[in-house]
Parts: sequence; C-alpha cells; structure tokens
Amino acid sequence: MLSKYKDLIKSADSNSVSPQISTNTESKSALIGSDVKIKGDVISKEDIVIAGEVTGIVQAKSHHIHISDTGILNADITGNVVSIEGSVKGNIVGLENVIITSTGNVLGNIECPRLSLEDGAKFKGSIEMNPLDVTASISHVKANRAASESEKPDIKAS
Amino acid sequence: MTSVLSNSKHIPMAQQNNTDPLPSALASNLIDNVNTEERLIVLDMGRAVSSTIKYFSQYKCRLNFVDLYSEDFVLDPDEEMSHSKMVNLMRGAINLQQSVKVDICLFWDIFSYLSDPLVKALIESLKQHVDSSTRSLIINPRDSRTMLPFYYYGISGPTLLTQSQRIGVQPSIYPRSQRALNDLIDYFVVDRGRLMSEGRAEYLLFKDNNINSVSSRIGLR
Repeated sequence: MLSKYKDLIKSADSNSVSPQISTNTESKSALIGSDVKIKGDVISKEDIVIAGEVTGIVQAKSHHIHISDTGILNADITGNVVSIEGSVKGNIVGLENVIITSTGNVLGNIECPRLSLEDGAKFKGSIEMNPLDVTASISHVKANRAASESEKPDIKAS
Repeated sequence: MTSVLSNSKHIPMAQQNNTDPLPSALASNLIDNVNTEERLIVLDMGRAVSSTIKYFSQYKCRLNFVDLYSEDFVLDPDEEMSHSKMVNLMRGAINLQQSVKVDICLFWDIFSYLSDPLVKALIESLKQHVDSSTRSLIINPRDSRTMLPFYYYGISGPTLLTQSQRIGVQPSIYPRSQRALNDLIDYFVVDRGRLMSEGRAEYLLFKDNNINSVSSRIGLR
C-alpha cells in the first residue's frame, strides 16, 4: 500500500504540480506536497498523503493517512490507518493500525489496536493497547468506510 | 547452579536487523505476580523496539517508552546541576501523570550510563509511581571491572529478551559494585540476580516499603 503513496509523491514532485494540494481521483487520495506548509486543520474524507508540513490537526477517521519521509507534522492525527515515514510531534489515534517505518520519528502518544514499528524507527511516548478491542475496532472502521465511500475530500487550511 | 547461557543453543538465532535473542531467567517474574486482567502500566527506560511492543500487545496495557539514553542531560551531564533540577528533568522525561502506578519497569542497563546524582534523581522521580507490587528488571555488568556491551534491549517472551547493537560512540560508563548500586537505588531492593552473556547480569528489583532495611537479598546464580 505504501508504494502507491510513494509513486504518487514522486509523480507530483516531478511534475511540479502547483498548488501541491491535489486529489488523485483514480486512487481517491489527496496529496499535500513537499513544498506545502499548512497551519490549521486538515480533515479528509479520503486517503491522504502528507509530504509537506502541517501544524494543527489531521483527521481522516475512516481512511489511510500516510506521512511520507519529507513530511513534518506538529499535529494530532486521527485515521483508520496511520503510516509514518517522516516526523510527527503529536498524539496519534489509529482506529485500525499505526505503522512507523524505519525512517519514522514520532514524539507523542499512540492509541491503536495494532502498532507496527520497523527497526530503526524512533518513537518516544506511550502506546495504549487493548487486544480485545481489535475486532470491534476493525468492524467499526469497515462500517464507517462503507458509509463514506462516495464522499469527497474536505481539506481546510488557514 | 544454572547458567542462563546454557539455554542459548535452544533459541533460534535470528540475526536479521542485528537483533539477537538474549535468554533471561528473570523476565518471567515481571508478569508472574501481575494481574493481567487489569490494565498494565509498563515503563521502558529504553528505546521503542518492535519485540517489546509485540510482546505487550497481548495484554491490555499502556506501554511508555522513555528512551532516557537519548536525553541531553544524560548524554552531556551537568555536574553542577542541583538535585531538584535533575529530579524535574527526570520527571519530565518519564512523563507520567502523578497518580499513575507502574506495574513493570524495564530499566535495562540505564544505571550504567548515569552518574550517581542522576541515579538518585531517577529513583526519586519514580518513587510516587512504584509500590511493592511493581517489578523491575535491570542489566548490569557482573562487576565494576567488566565492560558493558553497547546494546539496546527489548523483551520478546517470558524467558527471552532481545538485544540490538547501538550505533555510534558508547557514552561514558559509570562502573559500580553491586553494593554501591544497592546503596544508590534507595527503596528498591535487589530480589534476585542471574548471570548473562558478555559479562552481564540481570537483576529483579522491587520496592521495599521498609526503606530502612535496604539489605540486599542478592545472590547471583
């Protein structure tokens, strides 16, 4: 799944898309490019890739939020799946899963039923884990995702 | 006398990502006396590693990674700093709410990288978070003349820890005899000790409510 996001970032960077907040309708993913800085709330109703800087809140409760290796977030994040290759300072809620890759650097608290931490990843903070919640959480997220399948992105920035 | 090392031939030696298994005779005691039906509070002084996360994911728990090793005041200690300031820095790094009680504390080998004043500050900062049911594990050189290998640690099972080579220059080590360490750790008492590979020993600590009788029951086996 991550390779899809990497390809999306590469193509955006090579084409110098301006502005770099774009929506890939084919894969239904929004992209905040590496030259974009957002101060405010990003609320997305589709998968979102963040390669730039965000200070505030990032929410995509039924979707995948991917922070690429150039992404720098000073933000609380809530997503279905949250994958991090970049740097995050803030609290993270992953309704299904949180993944911190080998280049990821996270300072904050994580709440999720499943957490994957690759060797080399840096994490400082706490992780709230409850194995009994996994099944319930995934069912809840799948129901939410089905309900919001046709909704458009809603990116707010100030 | 049972050597911990004697078990190593039965452990699959997974070498990927420079993470090696490290048999432990004491790690099982961390969980043994804890009510796992309740939410566990685990405090890990080391770096977040996947093995520890995976191991504790079977329990309802809050897993706190402090990574005290990376704190500036540990890497570059200020010898002039007051005790109260050190305690405040430790409290900030540990970052636990005042009322939180820790069930399991994984010190790993952090004491060997802390000066005496910093050890005292760490112990004082933890005082409100531990009670007699708290179980703690430390790894230390067997004696003050033994070099400490440069690893970070995790736990992958009740009898198995993990060790991964740390990159970079090893910070200063503060070698101490067991007696010197016992004196520093104040209300903690060393309950048991076992030998490990590479000149190390593991110790199980608990809080003695009768602080005045800090007489170690230590005996390496």
